[in-house]
Amino acid sequence: MNTTIDARGLVKAYGRHRALDGLDLTSTTGVTGLLGPNGAGKTTLLRVLATVLAADSGDLRILGKDPHDPEGRLHIRRSLGYLPQDAGFHRGFTAFEAVDYVAVLKEHTGARARHDEVRRVLDRVGLSDVANKKVRALSGGMRRRLGLAQALLGTPSLLVLDEPTAGLDPEQRMRFRDLVSEAGHGKTVVLSTHQTEDVAAVCSHVVVVKNGRALFAGTPTELAAVATGRVWVDTDRDPRAYAGWRLGAGTYHHIGDPPAGAQLVDPTIEDAYLLLLGPQVDLEGREVA
Amino acid sequence: MNEEPMSTEWHLDAELAGRYAQGGVSTVLASSVEQHLIRCAACRALLTPTVPAARLDAVWAEVLETVETPRATLLERLLRGVRVDEGTARLVAATPSLRGAWILGVVVVLTLAVLTAHADGNGIALFLALAPVLPMAGVAFAFGPAADPTHEIAAAAPYSSLHLLAVRTVVVVASTLVPIGLAAPFLPGNAWLSVAWLLPALALTVTMLALATRVAPHLAAIGLSALWLAVVIPGLAHSRNALLASELPVQLASLAALTVSAGALLVQRHDLPELFRRTA
Repeated sequence: MNTTIDARGLVKAYGRHRALDGLDLTSTTGVTGLLGPNGAGKTTLLRVLATVLAADSGDLRILGKDPHDPEGRLHIRRSLGYLPQDAGFHRGFTAFEAVDYVAVLKEHTGARARHDEVRRVLDRVGLSDVANKKVRALSGGMRRRLGLAQALLGTPSLLVLDEPTAGLDPEQRMRFRDLVSEAGHGKTVVLSTHQTEDVAAVCSHVVVVKNGRALFAGTPTELAAVATGRVWVDTDRDPRAYAGWRLGAGTYHHIGDPPAGAQLVDPTIEDAYLLLLGPQVDLEGREVA
Repeated sequence: MNEEPMSTEWHLDAELAGRYAQGGVSTVLASSVEQHLIRCAACRALLTPTVPAARLDAVWAEVLETVETPRATLLERLLRGVRVDEGTARLVAATPSLRGAWILGVVVVLTLAVLTAHADGNGIALFLALAPVLPMAGVAFAFGPAADPTHEIAAAAPYSSLHLLAVRTVVVVASTLVPIGLAAPFLPGNAWLSVAWLLPALALTVTMLALATRVAPHLAAIGLSALWLAVVIPGLAHSRNALLASELPVQLASLAALTVSAGALLVQRHDLPELFRRTA
């Protein structure tokens, strides 16, 4: 299997803060999800993979090329689709014009062929009907799909998507996951999220990131297995648990070191994720006192 | 659409349907066929299997291209008129500081400056202080995340960011110089004042670009504007001819700044995209 991304010991610092602190990542065909709390280094990593940022140190090969080398960087960019966290468009443009503008930046020459490609990707994300609507008139979900449309231009072999489902309602999120799954067929997709449901729904590979390091890399099933024997339910809250919350049935779901005789249950990806993040986080991944 | 009942009118046979589908009939006959097809479901059904899918797709694509593709903006049409290629014209047309609001702002500021110059002997100070700053400000806000919402996407695209910056700079400077140049002859006094702003304008713009390899472009523009105003405003406040008195030093300093900054950009030309990327 060809390795699309091979990163070893990536370091990227902003002043004294190390956003990436010796991070390793290997990615092949399929959808790789970067799971981690806010500030874990996911966006910095994706910006490095998208060649927008250069790592301070470490070894990185993307599609077999070195992004530090100008020729290699150009090769990567020609094979890349990138959806930034805050993908913006000129609000006075129509949806068609916004994607057409990016198509020019992606070296799609020849107006007719370029326009056909723009129509193809707009159709792919279900925006053909609003192609001539101004960007400012589109809903948040539509603008996110517009972002994905520009990333799909030219059928890139590597898609880098930063929080693609952020800010979407459940129905939009489901639709977006379908799109990402389709886009990942035979390609490599790397996406960041702090939603474990996204990982369960679309990812064939998951990397848990915290403090600029990879805490775990494997399949979603392997991630869930990390918490095997460490998830239990009880009728009362157990203060010794790393994390715990009340279930609808009135029982409490706990993660951590179970007491003797605890009623163990099958772990989920979310259980394993919270366990990996450690005892000082809540369900949103926020550090707590 | 309501379809009229079929009566004594003619209908397509298989041979005619085939020739029409292949585009092998005259324009007049094709027109008659089309008029008939609009009303006759039976003939449409006869025609459907004979139309090659590829031809249908090509016709449909042509319709979409004609109907859906947005019309080029005035700026794009102007640029294409001077042989700028279609793609580059599209990129330039998206430059934030080429939008109507910016150009309108420049015109309003210059009109006020010219009127002030006529109303007050020292009012010309306003024009000479502003004229060199405007092109620089336009260029500073032509790129970077503060001005360009697609900056991050563009940064990951293969299109040369240096080429994009160069093209936008030239167009922004040119578009700003035109209204300034048109306003300058209406200034009272020495005709030299009509062009005295030109060299400082170019010097400030190029120096801003050179500084943008180290700091954010809008910060470089703010810093240089403050420096420029600190130099010219006090001099003009003392006497009407203060700027004329310092004209040569100002022009020489501008020439020096232009030369040094252009040289710095030239030396770093291979690294400029990455340097701008770090600061923008």
